Formats: sequence, C-alpha cells, structure tokens
Amino acid sequence: MKKTLKLMSALCLGTGILLGSAIGAAADDASINIAYQYGLAYAPLIVAQDQGLIEAAYEEATGDTLTVTWTQMSSGADINTAIASGDLQAGFMGVGPAVTGVVKGVGYKIFTNLSGQSHGLMTNDENIKSLGDLIGSSNQIALVNIGSIQHILLAKALSENGFDAHALDANIVAMKHPDGMTALQTGAVSCHLTSSPYIFTEREQDDLTELTEVSEAWTSEDSFIVGVASEKLHDENPDLYAALCAGISAAIDFVNASPEDTAALTCEYDGNSAEDELEYLGLGTYSAATSGVLELAQFMGENGFIDAAPASIDELVFDGVEGD
Amino acid sequence: MKKKKSETLYPLIVKIVFVAALLVLWEYVAKSGLLGEHSALIFPSLETIGAAFIRNFKVGFAGSSLWIYIGNSMKLLLEGLLLGIGLAFVFSGLSIISRTFSIIYNFVVSICDLLPGVALLPVVIIIFGVKPGVIVFLVVHAVIWPMSRNILDGFLAVPQIYVEAGRNIGLKGFRLLTGVYLPAATSYIVSGLKVGWARAWRGLISAEMIFGIASCPGIGLYINQMRTNMNNAEMYATLIVIVIIGVVVQYGILSPIENNTVKKWGMTR
Amino acid sequence: MSDILLELKGLTKIFTDDAGTAEVLRSVDLKVPEKEFLCILGPSGCGKTTLLRCIAGFETFTGSVLIDGQPRTQPGTDRIMVFQDFNQLFPWKTVEKNIQYPLRLSGIKDKAELKRRSDEAIAKVQLTGWEHYYPYQLSGGMKQRVAIAKALALKPRIILMDEPFAALDAMTRRDLQKEMLRILGEEESTVIFITHNIQEAIFLGTRILVLQPGGEIVYDEPNTLPKPVTPASDEYGRLWGTLNAALYSRSQG
Repeated sequence: MKKTLKLMSALCLGTGILLGSAIGAAADDASINIAYQYGLAYAPLIVAQDQGLIEAAYEEATGDTLTVTWTQMSSGADINTAIASGDLQAGFMGVGPAVTGVVKGVGYKIFTNLSGQSHGLMTNDENIKSLGDLIGSSNQIALVNIGSIQHILLAKALSENGFDAHALDANIVAMKHPDGMTALQTGAVSCHLTSSPYIFTEREQDDLTELTEVSEAWTSEDSFIVGVASEKLHDENPDLYAALCAGISAAIDFVNASPEDTAALTCEYDGNSAEDELEYLGLGTYSAATSGVLELAQFMGENGFIDAAPASIDELVFDGVEGD
Repeated sequence: MKKKKSETLYPLIVKIVFVAALLVLWEYVAKSGLLGEHSALIFPSLETIGAAFIRNFKVGFAGSSLWIYIGNSMKLLLEGLLLGIGLAFVFSGLSIISRTFSIIYNFVVSICDLLPGVALLPVVIIIFGVKPGVIVFLVVHAVIWPMSRNILDGFLAVPQIYVEAGRNIGLKGFRLLTGVYLPAATSYIVSGLKVGWARAWRGLISAEMIFGIASCPGIGLYINQMRTNMNNAEMYATLIVIVIIGVVVQYGILSPIENNTVKKWGMTR
Repeated sequence: MSDILLELKGLTKIFTDDAGTAEVLRSVDLKVPEKEFLCILGPSGCGKTTLLRCIAGFETFTGSVLIDGQPRTQPGTDRIMVFQDFNQLFPWKTVEKNIQYPLRLSGIKDKAELKRRSDEAIAKVQLTGWEHYYPYQLSGGMKQRVAIAKALALKPRIILMDEPFAALDAMTRRDLQKEMLRILGEEESTVIFITHNIQEAIFLGTRILVLQPGGEIVYDEPNTLPKPVTPASDEYGRLWGTLNAALYSRSQG
C-alpha cells in the first residue's frame, strides 16, 4: 500500500509540474498568438501574415520587434477555449460564437469586423418555393452545426417572415459545408444552408433553386467573421492592441485596394483558381466596421441561442470599433 | 475456487485511491486559479460540474432532458451493435464453411478495419441518405470488423483436437460451427466484444458530433452543443455520463459474460 | 473366422508435402472380430496412429475400411476415438454434459434417459460426484477417465484408443490399466488400443499386433496369458522378449 501511495503522489506531482510549466510559458510581451479558421472569409489574415502587417505596425509605434504566431483552428468553440485559457490573445471566428463567448465571459470583446459573405438556402426540390413550404414537412435542411451562424440565420429568416424562430429546428441535419453540398446534390437532403464559396457553386447549378428569405435576412454586407481580442491584451498592452487593430485594418485595405494580388496569394490556400478566387473575393465585403452585430446578438438572446441579450453594442465591442 | 479476499480487494482500493487522487488534483487546479481568471469557465470545479450534471437531466438543451439524447443514442447503438455482432457471426461462420468466402472475407476485414468510420460519412450519406440509419451504419462499421477479426482468429486458434472430437461424435458443417468452433473461440469472441463495444461507443459519439440529426439528437450532438455554447461544465458532466454508461456496460454486461464463460471454463488466455 | 466387425482391405495412406511423398501405410489387411481387445505395438513412425485415424475417418486413404461389411470414409459414432491428448474434452461443458452431448446428438432427447446413461458411464470410471466439474478442474488421469466414459456411454461398435495413457505418470497409468481391464470384463466392447508400451499390451490385449514402418504387420498372435497378467505370470518373460524382438527388429538390423 505504501508503494501505491508513493506512486500516486509521484503521478500527482508530475501532472502538477507539467501544468505549471504550460501555464508559465504563456503570454509574453513581445509576442502574440492569434487563431483563425479556414476559408475565403479570412483572406485579409493571409495578407497580414504574408506581409507582416501587425509586426510592422508594432515596430513603427514602439521601435521593438514583435513575434506573431498564427494558428489555424477548426471551430470558434476551440478558439473560445484557447482564449479563455490564456493561450491565445486574439482570434477570428463567426459572429455567432463571438457573441456567445462575450456573453459567457470568456474575457474578450470584438475589436474589428473582418468580412461579410454570401449566405443562402438552396433546395433541390422545385415544389419548395419558400420557408413556409418547409414548416411541418419532413424535408431535411443540412447546415454546418446547430447553434452555428447558419442556424441563427435560418431562425432569423423564419422570425422575419412571421414564423416561430425554431419552427425548423427538427429538420436540421448538422454536416460540414462540403458534405452538405454533396448531400444536396445527390438528393440525400432537400435543402442546404451554406455560405461562400459553396453557395456560389450551388447557385450556378440549374437544378438547384434558392429560398431567398435567408439571403435577405443577412446579406453579404452584414458581419460574418469578426476578430476578438482578450480584455487582458486590451487593458494591459495598449501598444500591442493598437498594432493588432492597425495591422488588420491595413490588411483589409489591401484586400479592397488590390484584389488581384490578394487572390493570387489566397487562391492556393482556398483551393480555387485565381480567377474564381478573384470573383469570390468581389462577392464578399471586407470591412473593419461591424454591421448588425448588436441586432444579431439581441435576436440570439431573445430566441435562446444565448442566455441573455446584451443591451448595447459596448458590451460586445471595444471602444473605437466602428459600426453597429 | 474462491479467490483470497485481498486479491479482489486490492485492485478496488487502488482504483478508488487513484480516482480520489485525480479528483483532488482536479479540484485543486480548478480552485487555485492556476489557469488564469477564466479558469471557472474552461476548468470548472467539481461542484459546478455536479450541478451541471443535475441540470443536464433536469433542464437539458432545446427543451429536452439529456435522458432523451441518451435514449436516442442508446437506441441507435443497440441496433448497430446487434446488427454488427450478428453479421460478424454470420460472415465469420460462413468463412469456416466455405473456403472461397473465407479468402474474400479475410481480405475485406483487413481492409475495412483500417477505414475510420467518420471518413466514410460522405459516401454513406450518398448511399443511405440522411437518416439515423447512417449512425447505425457507422456503429455497425465500428463493431463488425474487430469482432470478425477476433472470431476468425478465434476459429483459427481452435485446437484441432476439439474439431476432431466434434467430427468423431458426428458434427459437421453448421453444427460443427455452433457445437465446437463458436464455444472454443469464446475467449476471442469476448475480447472482440470488448474491443467492438468500445469502438462502437466512441464511433457513435464522434459520428453524432459531426453528423447531427436534429430530429433524433444523441449524446454526441449534446456534447457538441454544450461546447459550441461554451457550457463547459455541462460538457464535462456529459463526459461523466459517457464514462458511467461505459463502466455500467463493462461491469454490468461484459464482465458477467466473461465470468460465466471463459473464466468459468478455465479458458482464459 | 465369424463375426468380423472391422475389416481393412489394402489400406494405403500416402502423405504429400513440400518435402515429397511418404507412404505411411502400404496395403494393410486386417480383420478384427467382435469383442476383441486388439493392442497394436510399434516404433515411432510406423504408421500406427495413422492407421487408427484412417479407421476413425479423419484421414483420406485408398483401400477400404469396412464395419460389419459396410465401407466407412467419414467419422461416425460407430467408431469412437479416445485420444492421447488430455484436452479432448470440451472445456465449456461439465463432465456430465461432455458425456451427454454426443448422446443427444445421436438422438436421445429424454433428459432422464440422458442422466441415467451419463451417471452409469461416470460410475463405471469411478468419477461419481464429479459430474458438475469442468475439465480444467480435473487431473490428467480423470480427464482420460471421462473420455473413456464418453466413449462407453455411446456404446459404439468399436472404441479406438490412441495411446490414451502415454502422457500419464506411471502410478496413474497402472490404475487406469486395471480399470480398463475391469470395465472390459463387464462391457465386452471391441477395442483397438495403440501403445508403445509392451507391458501395457500384454496386460490389456487379447490379441497383440506389432507394426513396422509402412504398416507392415510383423507379429500377430492372440494373447493367451490369463488375466490379470503380472510380470510374475508364466510365459510373461518369453512373450515380452518376443514382442521386444519384433518391435526392435528393424532398428537392430
């Protein structure tokens, strides 16, 4: 028994040391860890990364060098956890998980908008002409996840057309965008609610038609991907925070000013031809000003996607962020 | 043939001490603030998880208690397990009777066992459409290959003398299979069940996390939901539910099967 | 000779493998009348086990094996084999079930009848009280008793025993030999008993046969020594010497 206890205490000690060292290694003044996700909507980040725009902004302001570490993560939920644990100081995600994270007290706020993209609900059944045709039916709607921005947009479209926001919840099938597209094309589901660039591909197909309520409820002008930064970064390291904002702003400006150069840079990451990439970039909106974030957050609060609706935009974004 | 008391007691004590030590460590990390000011959110204390555990069942998500999600998952799991185990027996049995079938089936098992079920999802959706049946299919996929591999290996390992003793008393074909091969391969079959069950349970949850059917929501979807909504305490509490179900199956079903067969017969490998 | 139970005609067995072919049995002819206890002695590799396996139907062969004049090529319950290996009992069945299972297969469905038959067989091998034990709980000698009881309960036309006592210690082997003799006195079964032990053959056999490689029969005489035979019996030494000479004739020459 003595032996066992010794072993146990050794295990505990070992785990403790590991945890301790991991925590000790976090946050360093001359560096910043930023997470983002995959796709066209994140194009300015590829530019910022490639041109070292955040590093340049920091050096210009302070004269010191900055190390930026970019990490690609697969979901907003992962980024939320990583920011809460202090491993990341900033991240880019859909406006849905960002609002959830702010309200849940992850310890960050939105510091910039990044992009707005096209969203739409496509169907392969010509008898389905509007959302109302789906209610009460057994038609299945593929979208990326329950609680995702696409789900929230479906709820918003329902609500704006006089239906219960959750009237189609039971029709949802959670599938990744490419799987959902395959399912729609093969007839495994009858509807697919997706975003760019998948929505562009589906819109080009003759046998698919769009139910326009969703694209009307949330246009490509409205915020889709936003950047969040930890309150700690904002409060304790204003120079770095300013450099982050300036770098991203410069990247967005570059995308808008030189779409050809941007497309040439990002097409490889997105797996599109340079021509397609340029066309898709033109269909999105790249802007640092938010659009509709408060409206969406309040809708989420009123319809149970988050526990409580924020009262003002200031609860969601840092000072100096433009837009609503 | 009763074991000495200390022999059964000691492993139990070790397990209890180990779990207690882990819980103490967890609580220490949660309470110490080691993980920064937001540690309550990402590393909730045991009390918070406990409260979330109860909340999972009382409140749940989207108006349904966690029971509903568990019920859905268990239903699909059970269908998949029964189908997978049944098919594994049928196909492995056929490969004892037919040599050609045996060559083909061994080949198929070797290949299919390597394919991760989740990677098959797109293909499965195209073939089966979007139905809970897809999850059942993935459970079947998770269980049938390890189960078949074990049964086939078990058949190969059947001592020739049992087969001859069986043939001597007039067994052949199907009756030789059920009368000799199956019972003689029991220890392999039991370990196949253990591996198959664990793979099926994990496979079910990961499939549900990726492919959630809102009309038939399961535990995986619940976990994903809790994660998306940053309800980490609820997520951990659901993981505990998963562990509890796993332990109940292990000690309530698999161990008794083992005790009443291979252990009782002195056939443990 | 009347009442011929088993007859072998030109029994030939050729094994073929990567190393080539080996003629293990070359045109063996043999007649075994009913109620005979035939002991077959032979050096290793003389084909005695193969001979028994051909009779049991476990091997393919050319020539013929006739039981009551009818040819046999597949295993059947008219010829029950008792192996040397202790693990011939099914470990997943108790002593009683091991004995009852073949009876059930042969068509006895009545539980009371099954119980009566298994109890009787268990009593014959003096294992009463061990009915509900599993094979792994028994010693090697007890397992062989169960195997014999299983064979007796089936009442086959002929019992084929392939060195059943060879892996036992000397004491247990002696006990089982005595038991065999007692049981056969009561049962009058027909037995072919393979052994490499001269003492065992003299003690048990009513007829002794010595095989040499290729299945060549070099000695085939009735054993007329009165039972029970002990080393002190008249003629024991002479018979032992004759058998020993027949057994080792090739290796010495």
